[in-house]
Amino acid sequence: MNRTISWRTVVVFAALAALPLTPWMSKYYMLLAFDALLFGAVAMSLDLLIGYTGMVSFGHAAFFGLGAYSAAVLLERGVLSLWLCLGLAVVVVGAYALTVSAFATNRRGIYFALLTLVFAEVVYTFFRYTQTFGGSDGIQGLPAPQLLPGMALDTPVRIYYLVLAYLLLAYLACRVLVRSHFGRVLVAIRENEARARFIGYNVQRYKMGVCLISAILSGLAGALYAGRAAYATPDLLHWSISGEFIIMVMIGGLGTLVGPIIGGAFFILLQEKVSSYVEWYSIVVGVVLVLIVLFAPRGLLGFRRAWRGRPGGEAA
Amino acid sequence: MEYLVAILLPQLLHGVVFGAALGLLALGLTVIFGLLGVMNFAHGELFMFGAYAGIVVIGLTQSFWVALVVAPLLVAAVGAVTEVATLRPLYRREPLYGLIMTFGLALAFREGARQLFGGDMRRILPPIEGSTPLLGMMYPNYRLFLLAFSSLLLLAIWLFFTRTRAGIIVRAAVEDAEMLDGLGVNVPRVFTLTFAGSAALAALAGLLLAPVFTVYPQMGVEMILLAFIVVILGGMGSMGGSVIAAFVIGIAQSLLTLWMNPQRVAIAIFGIMIVVLIVRPRGFFGREGVLE
Repeated sequence: MNRTISWRTVVVFAALAALPLTPWMSKYYMLLAFDALLFGAVAMSLDLLIGYTGMVSFGHAAFFGLGAYSAAVLLERGVLSLWLCLGLAVVVVGAYALTVSAFATNRRGIYFALLTLVFAEVVYTFFRYTQTFGGSDGIQGLPAPQLLPGMALDTPVRIYYLVLAYLLLAYLACRVLVRSHFGRVLVAIRENEARARFIGYNVQRYKMGVCLISAILSGLAGALYAGRAAYATPDLLHWSISGEFIIMVMIGGLGTLVGPIIGGAFFILLQEKVSSYVEWYSIVVGVVLVLIVLFAPRGLLGFRRAWRGRPGGEAA
Repeated sequence: MEYLVAILLPQLLHGVVFGAALGLLALGLTVIFGLLGVMNFAHGELFMFGAYAGIVVIGLTQSFWVALVVAPLLVAAVGAVTEVATLRPLYRREPLYGLIMTFGLALAFREGARQLFGGDMRRILPPIEGSTPLLGMMYPNYRLFLLAFSSLLLLAIWLFFTRTRAGIIVRAAVEDAEMLDGLGVNVPRVFTLTFAGSAALAALAGLLLAPVFTVYPQMGVEMILLAFIVVILGGMGSMGGSVIAAFVIGIAQSLLTLWMNPQRVAIAIFGIMIVVLIVRPRGFFGREGVLE
């Protein structure tokens, strides 16, 4: 199957696009749907690293949070153009990602995970204690960004369509990427890095490339999140958020792109729904996670694929 | 000379005391890492459990000393049950799964403690009061006890690993669990007991540090990163390395606060770790190529 867009993708996105038209979508549910799709997109971008290249980034919150702060700084100063916010996020996150990956891609396995974690903690500590960026309160009360001058993204329906468009573009980009020659080399690196190197590929350049792409996708999502939430706080950069991103990927299924989107949405809905019933939702989330690792280690999608006897659910 | 006695010396001693407790915490982490290949994210929560178990036992018996014995045993039991129920099924899987698993456990444990004990800060009063004149300054007795007790414990652990059969079996399991299994040792039991022991050490560190710091559900999150840094600095799976690195980090952190504000200290510690990971990823004493 070489088509980039299958009919199933079209149906799913059409259904998602029709969602605001259904009568029971209140403002609350629109924003919940926004978060579900947004974090789905972040999880998908992380899947490029973990699922396809076999590199576990434990610092993705830094990319996401830096994107959010980039947008917040502009919005706070009255620069309302969405495109400028996204542009700054790309520049800032890209520069940071290149720096981190230049050091981290030299190292493999748990050392890569820890290097990304520690770099992210430096960013967290910086924002947490720098009063220019609001310290531990972050930047609050931001105005809504504008798609075009005079067209503010201030209703839940508008920002929902924004994130839907973002998810669609990001998904198509990732799908093209993993099926391209570049994507094949990434899988080769995951399977046997030494062999990929012997064949003549510049492994580090490929790794830095995929880090950059993944980071920018997450950073863009962060910028969108700041526009929707009207704040950027250091909590977005905390390493426990990076952990949650990994969890989303794991829940969905490594190396499947679609799986992590579902995983991210599932995680957000689970957290939100459970927390509206019980105060101790973290326990539920933690236990669900434990159960998934124990009984569905390939994630929700991988589980289904394994059950139907199809390959593709497995990745390291 | 004034400066030396009044400021530098107490700060240095603070660092040594903190380093000793950090060593207990990191030692358990590094043994579990060597044994199971798992970076145990829930280790900080076991540390926190130690402090809360201490509060409960002190509330029942009015004695810190009883708590010092009972609390680690309680937490060790929690650790053993956790290991059997959740980590044992993961032995032959990717280390990544262990990481995710313990992250989930940490979430559940932390929230569990908040539900049981509330989210507010608590204190345990030092069981030993007063200060002792030492090298021209006054130093709190409890911290001296903390240093002496932790050092003795570290020595005892070293003797355990070098002089007893049980300790040698654990080290053999770190080296080659499959071979040990072939020699007829019940390896899963070794894993469970070692995990329980590591939980007890974390709990001891939590309880010993409680009179110096404060007790709250998030206390483990703050410590675990520092403990990770120590484990990496010392070399993953190297026990001696971890203890030495714990003292290095403890002293560095304590001395740096003299010249920097706390966030710069945090960044400086992270900086040390980044440099070590780049230049010498196996740490001070780690073997080359472990889990790379």
